[in-house]
Amino acid sequence: MILIRPCRAGDLAGIEAVVNANTTLISSVPHDREKLSERIDHSRRSFEQDPDVEGGEFFLFVMEDTESGEILGTSGISMNRDRSRPFYSYRFDELIHSSPKLGVHSAVPVLYLTHELTGKSVLCGLSVRESLRDTEYFELLSRSRLLFMRQFRDLFSDEVVVEMQGVHEDKNSAFWDSLGRHFFNLDFATADYYSSIKSRTFIAEMMPQHPIYVSLLSEEAQAVIGQVDPGAEPAHRLLLREGFKASPYFDIFDGGPTLKAELDSLQSLRLAKDKQARCGQVYTGVRYLVSNQSFEDFRCSFAQITDGMGDIIRLDSTIADSLNIADGDTISYVTL
Amino acid sequence: MMLIRPIRSSDLDDLYAMASSAGSGLTTLPADTERLAARIELSERSFAQKVPIERGNYMFALEDTEAERMVGVSAIEAQIGIDTVWYNYRVSQCVNSSREIGVHTINHTLYLTNDLTGSSEVCSLLLDKNYRTIEGPRRGTNGRLLSKCRFLFMREFPNLFSDKVIAEMRGYSNAQGQSPFWDALGRKFFHMEFTQADYLSGSGNKSFVAELMPKYPIYLAFLPQSARDVVGRVHDNTRPALEMLKREGFNHNGLVDIFDAGPIMESFVRNVRAVRESAMRQALISKHPPEEDDSGRYYLVSNCGMAHFRCVLVAAAAVKFDTVALSDEEASSLEVSMGDPLRVIPMRYTEN
Repeated sequence: MILIRPCRAGDLAGIEAVVNANTTLISSVPHDREKLSERIDHSRRSFEQDPDVEGGEFFLFVMEDTESGEILGTSGISMNRDRSRPFYSYRFDELIHSSPKLGVHSAVPVLYLTHELTGKSVLCGLSVRESLRDTEYFELLSRSRLLFMRQFRDLFSDEVVVEMQGVHEDKNSAFWDSLGRHFFNLDFATADYYSSIKSRTFIAEMMPQHPIYVSLLSEEAQAVIGQVDPGAEPAHRLLLREGFKASPYFDIFDGGPTLKAELDSLQSLRLAKDKQARCGQVYTGVRYLVSNQSFEDFRCSFAQITDGMGDIIRLDSTIADSLNIADGDTISYVTL
Repeated sequence: MMLIRPIRSSDLDDLYAMASSAGSGLTTLPADTERLAARIELSERSFAQKVPIERGNYMFALEDTEAERMVGVSAIEAQIGIDTVWYNYRVSQCVNSSREIGVHTINHTLYLTNDLTGSSEVCSLLLDKNYRTIEGPRRGTNGRLLSKCRFLFMREFPNLFSDKVIAEMRGYSNAQGQSPFWDALGRKFFHMEFTQADYLSGSGNKSFVAELMPKYPIYLAFLPQSARDVVGRVHDNTRPALEMLKREGFNHNGLVDIFDAGPIMESFVRNVRAVRESAMRQALISKHPPEEDDSGRYYLVSNCGMAHFRCVLVAAAAVKFDTVALSDEEASSLEVSMGDPLRVIPMRYTEN
């Protein structure tokens, strides 16, 4: 059976296998073994509510095949309230340059470096085995986080954001080549790698501090601002369906868009319900995402259920066992 | 004889003809009769001390006394940026450095500034091309006369000017008159040709600059190589003027023109060589002043006047320890009599 649960120290090799097979980097789940192990530990402490990580909590979930013990994917939530790790974005704005006397009126697009999104919870760390991309398991990975956020709603900000990967070609980014490269003097892959394993200090040191006039960037760079890499399209579509919207914020390295949403307005939060589980044999029903209500031992998977009128819902015993749900426990569920 | 004197309203036609043939790049003298007439009038009132000091604008005419025609002009603006906004880009450096990742990069930025507001400016130098002598002992004399007479005037009346004097050098453009700097930057914000922007700027209304100019610093790295190469580079035709200013002690101060990135040259007035080294003599009117020789050595001689400021070239041999031997014609052009004070400065410095 395939389920979602918080990652554990023992998942290191399994997670490594998933992220290393991915062609693109996910900055919150680094390729570097030592850093990855730190991130897993960070997640463990976050689930244990260690006061030392308060504000900077990072919850990393894994998707596990319980029969083989194999790790199939990861997904995460970052609290992003840690002032020692400012969240960098470019905000896209337009200034109107207008001379009525000369009849010249133009909108001049400008990118402003901003930390405005610091403090907003971030969905991050989504990676999956290539074979499961664009399947319902992908949905399980992405949406299970939202069930977790719904249950522990007070922990998270009202607005949540997701950074989509910008357009990349052979580990290069036209946006980077026209902008960041002049200042960092690094190729995109190296800079991206550093951003996943280093502190924010080097970004503070290296990012150009003045606003950027978009019209001075290369045409190739201008063309990819706000564009999602084709590889990230399935994730993008899923998030749009969930209720995320484009925002004026873009990634400072590759110009990829940052999506934004009111957490409570997301499909998974609006449509999810809680009921008491009655465990036993289930013969019919519709596939739902089902989770327990545990914080430290959060679990989520698919289950066939029939959502009736009452406060009680029948759940297959095997699935209940896997999700650590005892008869009479309250569960959360939401349609696919 | 070639004579420097304050410009007069009767010079308007000659001035217009020169401005028309100058082409782009001389923003302060647009080919516009009304504007030129206004400038002449301002100059006349300035020499007559009828304008507030900070609004003074002194235009010097080079007259061919035989042809009775003005063949060159130059000017001093007492204080720039007083009734219009004076813009420049300051070429700055910004360093991004991180020990953590072992990278150190230096980038150049252009900051829009009004730093020169209040400085004096030497400007608007134009010389009829038929009077640009390029050979013989008199080579370059007319241009130097036009340029350097201003420093004699400034030396005479330091209270009319600021401590600092600047000169804007025409920036690089190719044979077709295209400025690679403008094409890479200005055009993207102004949506017009360089010549049009240049003309508008010369006509004195800078509102369009405030309305259309990018206000944030520009990273040079974003501009193409062709544009980066010409930041601070003068137009080929302006190179002699640049060299002359350098010999006077002017330095490039890191500021460039916002349209064509031509350099701004700057000096303290008291440090300008012509100001420092000019000397006083007495007029000695002589029936037989020393003849001009082939040495090419001349002095500029001025009569120390204000409204009657005059300046001519004399042969070096005429300048003695405490006198300058003048012919009758020279003396009458300078409007001086025997024993009147004169200010002199070598046209060329000896080591040059």
